[in-house]
Amino acid sequence: MPIRKVSSKATSKVTGTAAAAAAAADATTGATTGKKSLLQRLAKSAGSPVVFAIIVIGLGVLPLLYSSGAIDSTAMIIFSGKCIALAILAIGIDLIWGYTGMLSLGQGLFFALGGYCMAMHLKMVATGGNITEFMHTGGLSELPIIWRPFLTFPATLVLIIVVPAVVGGLVGFFIFRNRVKGVFFSIISQALTWAAFSLFMATSPWTNGNTGITEIKSVFGSIRGDANLDHLYMLFYVSLGVLVLVFILATLLTRTKFGKLLIAIRDGENRTYFSGYSVSRYKNTIYVISAVLAGIGGALFVNFNGSISPSVMTISYSIMMVVWVAIGGRGTIIGAVIGTLLINFGEYTIASGSMIQAWQFIVGGIFVVVILFFKGGIVGIFTSQLPAAWRWLQARLGGRGQGKGADQGAGGQLAASQAGSSADAEVG
Amino acid sequence: MTATAATTATAAATKAATATAAAATKDPVLKVNNISVSFEGFLALSDVQVDVQRNTIHFFIGPNGAGKTTLLDIICGKTRPSAGTVTYFPQGREMIRLTDLKEYRIVNVGVGRKFQMPSIFINLTVWDNMILSLKGHKGVWDSIFFRPSAAERADIEQMLERFDLLEQRDTIAGALAHGQKQRLEIAMQLVQKPELIMLDEPAAGMGKQETFQLGEVLREICGECTVIVVEHDMEFVKQIADVVTVFHEGKVLMEGSISEVLADETVQAVYLGRGGER
Amino acid sequence: MQQVIGVLFNGLSLSSILLLTAVGLAITFGLMKVINMAHGEFIMMGAYTTFVVQQLFLSFAPGAFDLSYLVALVAAFAFTFLFGCVLEKLVISRLYGRVVDSLLATAGISIILQQAARSIFGERGVNVTAPSWLSGGISLGGVTFSYNRLFIIMLAVLSLVLVVLIMRKTKFGLQMRAVMQNRDMARCMGINSRRIDMLTFGIGSGLAGLAGCSVALLGSVDSTVGQLYIVDSFMAVVLGGVGNLVGTVFGSSIIGFSSIGIETGLSSADIAKCLVLLIIIVFLQFKPQGLFAGRTRQLDE
Repeated sequence: MPIRKVSSKATSKVTGTAAAAAAAADATTGATTGKKSLLQRLAKSAGSPVVFAIIVIGLGVLPLLYSSGAIDSTAMIIFSGKCIALAILAIGIDLIWGYTGMLSLGQGLFFALGGYCMAMHLKMVATGGNITEFMHTGGLSELPIIWRPFLTFPATLVLIIVVPAVVGGLVGFFIFRNRVKGVFFSIISQALTWAAFSLFMATSPWTNGNTGITEIKSVFGSIRGDANLDHLYMLFYVSLGVLVLVFILATLLTRTKFGKLLIAIRDGENRTYFSGYSVSRYKNTIYVISAVLAGIGGALFVNFNGSISPSVMTISYSIMMVVWVAIGGRGTIIGAVIGTLLINFGEYTIASGSMIQAWQFIVGGIFVVVILFFKGGIVGIFTSQLPAAWRWLQARLGGRGQGKGADQGAGGQLAASQAGSSADAEVG
Repeated sequence: MTATAATTATAAATKAATATAAAATKDPVLKVNNISVSFEGFLALSDVQVDVQRNTIHFFIGPNGAGKTTLLDIICGKTRPSAGTVTYFPQGREMIRLTDLKEYRIVNVGVGRKFQMPSIFINLTVWDNMILSLKGHKGVWDSIFFRPSAAERADIEQMLERFDLLEQRDTIAGALAHGQKQRLEIAMQLVQKPELIMLDEPAAGMGKQETFQLGEVLREICGECTVIVVEHDMEFVKQIADVVTVFHEGKVLMEGSISEVLADETVQAVYLGRGGER
Repeated sequence: MQQVIGVLFNGLSLSSILLLTAVGLAITFGLMKVINMAHGEFIMMGAYTTFVVQQLFLSFAPGAFDLSYLVALVAAFAFTFLFGCVLEKLVISRLYGRVVDSLLATAGISIILQQAARSIFGERGVNVTAPSWLSGGISLGGVTFSYNRLFIIMLAVLSLVLVVLIMRKTKFGLQMRAVMQNRDMARCMGINSRRIDMLTFGIGSGLAGLAGCSVALLGSVDSTVGQLYIVDSFMAVVLGGVGNLVGTVFGSSIIGFSSIGIETGLSSADIAKCLVLLIIIVFLQFKPQGLFAGRTRQLDE
């Protein structure tokens, strides 16, 4: 192998001795380096499951805390349930934005679609399958066709998945086939949501317009009051189970080749095309997945919230969803969950007091600072900024001798992930 | 005025030369037929005609703005021509008109492209970069359940070995040195098993020694596929070129072996004389 | 016939409002490639400035109240211009080349500005009184052309002309175009690109402030007033072709006239809004670069 010989000379300046050692005893050296990187990888990948497990346990004990009297109102549990639903939606946003680099400002649309599907079913349960008051007021005399499928629960479950998937699939098909990307995608997704908002407002005999669908109970029955504690707990744990499932599936997905491709598309869309992939198809797939997750989140949310209105399709709400993911840490599934819980619980505790005025300032301010200086959000602070600061401190204190190679590697990763520049620089 | 006359004269000569060359080997892998392209009225290429023979190293040279990169863009589907076609003759398969295909389909029929700047996936490891470049398995469904076979893994390892990147297999590609990135990108192209590979200034930013080694690698892979190179480094061209096509102002000025090209007066006038200008 | 003229006038009126809101965007988005999600809030700031100026006149110089609106126009432009400059200096200037991040950062600013408006002026909307010289209108052939709408049309045309003049006829405009086309090159030519960036963004913001003044004439002003216009103005810019002022004029007119047309036909403003947006989205599938975009060598931006 002449090439091997000559080209190893070229890099010998940096890794000369290492390369020689590897060549001499490649079997053993290879094994150890492999093991080391495996350990590193394990340490890196174990972080988020552990954090997630802590979060799940923390949420899971809330009902116990209420039973034991540590918290004095079920409102906290209901609120946590909403947060769980929103975290599922946030995971979807993270997949499409954090991983694939497409900023969708229209996830509120899919959240609403899932939410309305569920709400329509619950309304039908509430009226016993009869037509509702607002339909009467709107001049309808019998149940509209679009409401009929929601008479049964199984059909509703299917539609909660299918409706966002089909809408997302159709929209995505056209948008991505025509290679609409970057901010144009963001603007169009936003306009689409605005259009849907107007549509829901305009078709009030069917959707109850501005008010939306109200006066509904959860799928397990009413969750208000101590008498219905069983219902609330059941709903809460089912939702938590869905979140766990979604988290696991999403994490697994990001570790497949499909997940690597999402990152590839984010960093170098054209390069991915020139590696032989139909990028638009991949984008469409992840768009549908994120739409379905938003739909599931919306459906669960309605159960806790007891109503849904077009206000979830406003621009500011969709932007807020992105804010959660950005603050938690884009590009990591756990970041989406952390951000959603943190901001919403923060709002719950702070904004309920006299700080209500200050809350939006705080969120907006944190968000701007995160975008400007902490691209990786909270997770990024722990995985890159803090280690970098630590290394800098170490170097300052003169601890240069040990683990230089490993440091370089990690530093390089940091540089790579922070560079933000893409492989498309020239391709595009 | 005389220059134009000379150009047309040489163009005619070129055509004749190509015809004889084709008659000699008679196995073109790529035919560029009367390609023209304009950007907002600026004619970047006009009526370009080039044949590339199988298992040769074919250089496109010319001053900046001569249209070399644009021609690569057209062959790989990045830019649509205003007129003309590009046909590709894969071994043992039907002829394919590349100008009808989307870029990712062109890659999948066996035409690879390395861009001028290293364009690799900076947030993935070297290994993952190679995995994504493997031939086949490009479907969405496929990608979710894909596990590389033992043969494919061996293939990647061999390729990384060849380009001296095996040590870096778990390194994030963005952290590689510039030369390593260049080599990784070529390795990525080769693991794709292309029949035709196009390299846009592959030696840019490389030292003399490294460039020479690259030349040797290209010589070696030339047995498995055809190589098109856009390059300014004349030493590099002299080292490995089988055929050289000279471009000037969007037209083919002449085509031949490197010694023929260097001996040609028109080429000296338009290219060598002005090469250093920009 | 009367109805047709009425529809045309309303369409022209809506188009001019959209144009006013979109011209600022055409500068920040079209030229600077900054997606300013806070543009709607700049409109809101302009509207509130108008309100504040009127209140000041009522307190200190009630006799000169009719002048208040003219003063407000200047004040709104100046205030949003300055605010835009500060924002550019503090935030936007760090985000050139990171288009999506600039969108997000300005979205954060918009959250803060909305809350600021709520904190200062309360949740409920405030009303701006049209000066006496803008109340009423002229009746021609049974159709009433209200003065304030005519004024808005005039203002839209005026600000468009001003922008074109600045860009085409002044040295600043030349420098501005140079910086926007090639920041590094312009810098090499001795142009202070940071200053140009700041002023350009300031002008875009100031135009939003002017738009806010006119929006204030049309209805009550609250913290979300900007959100009503932001999507439509973005669509106007995209539809016309980013970076093309003529395109923005066409984009605004198409959205304005078709909205009013559909609204009159179907007697529902919401349906009209929905349909117009959907039609534009579909149109952009076929011409993603907008109406006025040439074939360029650069594929991505």
